[in-house]
Amino acid sequence: MNTPTLIEEGLNLMLFGMGFVFVFLTLLVIVTSLMSWIIIKIEKNIGVIPDEGVVAPTTFIPPHGPLAEQPATDDKTLISVLTAAVHKYRSRK
Amino acid sequence: MEQLVALWHNTGLYQMTPGQGFMIVIGMLLLYLAINKNFEPLLLVPIGFGGVLANIPGAGLAEAGGVLHMFYTVGIESGAFPLIIFMGVGAMTDFGPLLANPRTLFLGAAAQFGIFATLMGAVALSYFGIMDFSLADAAAIGIIGGADGPTSIYVASKLAPDLLGAIAVASYSYMALVPLIQPPIMRALTTESERKIKMTQQREVSHREKIIFPLLLLLLVAFLLPDAAPLLGMFCFGNLMKECAVVDRLSNTTQNSLINTVTIFLGLAVGSKLSADKFLDITTLGIVILGLAAFSIGTASGVIMAKLMNKIGGGGINPLIGSAGVSAVPMAARVSNKLGLESDPHNFLLMHAMGPNVAGVIGSAVAAGIMINYVGG
Repeated sequence: MNTPTLIEEGLNLMLFGMGFVFVFLTLLVIVTSLMSWIIIKIEKNIGVIPDEGVVAPTTFIPPHGPLAEQPATDDKTLISVLTAAVHKYRSRK
Repeated sequence: MEQLVALWHNTGLYQMTPGQGFMIVIGMLLLYLAINKNFEPLLLVPIGFGGVLANIPGAGLAEAGGVLHMFYTVGIESGAFPLIIFMGVGAMTDFGPLLANPRTLFLGAAAQFGIFATLMGAVALSYFGIMDFSLADAAAIGIIGGADGPTSIYVASKLAPDLLGAIAVASYSYMALVPLIQPPIMRALTTESERKIKMTQQREVSHREKIIFPLLLLLLVAFLLPDAAPLLGMFCFGNLMKECAVVDRLSNTTQNSLINTVTIFLGLAVGSKLSADKFLDITTLGIVILGLAAFSIGTASGVIMAKLMNKIGGGGINPLIGSAGVSAVPMAARVSNKLGLESDPHNFLLMHAMGPNVAGVIGSAVAAGIMINYVGG
């Protein structure tokens, strides 16, 4: 006559188990959030420009001339080339 | 003439029992699924082949002294292989999405309900006399719902070594079937407008947080649930090796060569448990059905939890990510992403679903620890 106790044990394990999983992960949420909060506080100043300003650069490197003047609107040929390529790729299958 | 008869008596054909023949067919079926259908090939190829090897009549590869039996004793009975795999999984895991949104841990917790519901199912089956499972067996079957291969094998090796073959095969098969099992459940439980919910871009997670998190998790496990320490300890160790970035060589080995090597032997050793007398049993059928139930309930409870969090937490959570709370990294997250894209082609949920996904790994390891604690100790 140990079958009823098996059911009871199963129920026990289910409630206890599910409860513990939630307790554990809740604690993990709390601890993790706390940790993130602290680290964000510490790292807050990283990457921020200090009040006294940054030392000015001593040399000046000019941007490349031809690169800057490249026409940005000439997409027509590019699009036609891409369309042809896509078409060829699809027809291959 | 007598020598001829002796030779005949030594052939496989003469010694083969129908059960062995059937198991060889099953092994071949697993190989077919792996090779042709691409079902978790990394595991099902070694498992299927191991199954065939274990059932070669007269060779005794899976009996005491046989090489497969040796792999089993060294790697699985001791619990070492699943733990080494878990270390590799840890080294491949990125906790970034989880750290960006720690609340997703609740989804990983909710999805573990599948484990415990199935445990009740298995217990009920024995209660009504349909099958004969002890509490330990029921616990090991339930863990299939955690959708985590190494965890299932670890728990089964500790609690129900007799059922290990069936549990491992069921667990890995269902992991391969995640894209088929989950979507209908997810669609049934969510409305179209819920599936369209957009989630805000995640914040950037700093390197320090990623390094400290595994240590934090380890401490929590050490204080609260030492029974989960083998699994989560190895997991945290692997993750720390990856995140600390000073032992890249070790981390690379863990993620690649080591985990691959161990997978080969793990697969063969699991295959050795596919012997006819253990596998061809009504309990295997029970395990397969219960495993499916575990998976489905886990998916459903994850989605329901996500809906609940969306309602209570003031919106901003797409319930589709809840299903990723069953582990199955990264398949479950991909399924969430895919369903999200179906409703809204500009809604990318993948990174949001990775949070509950890795939370599911932690959750199922915690559940495994509780099972081992309660049943074993």
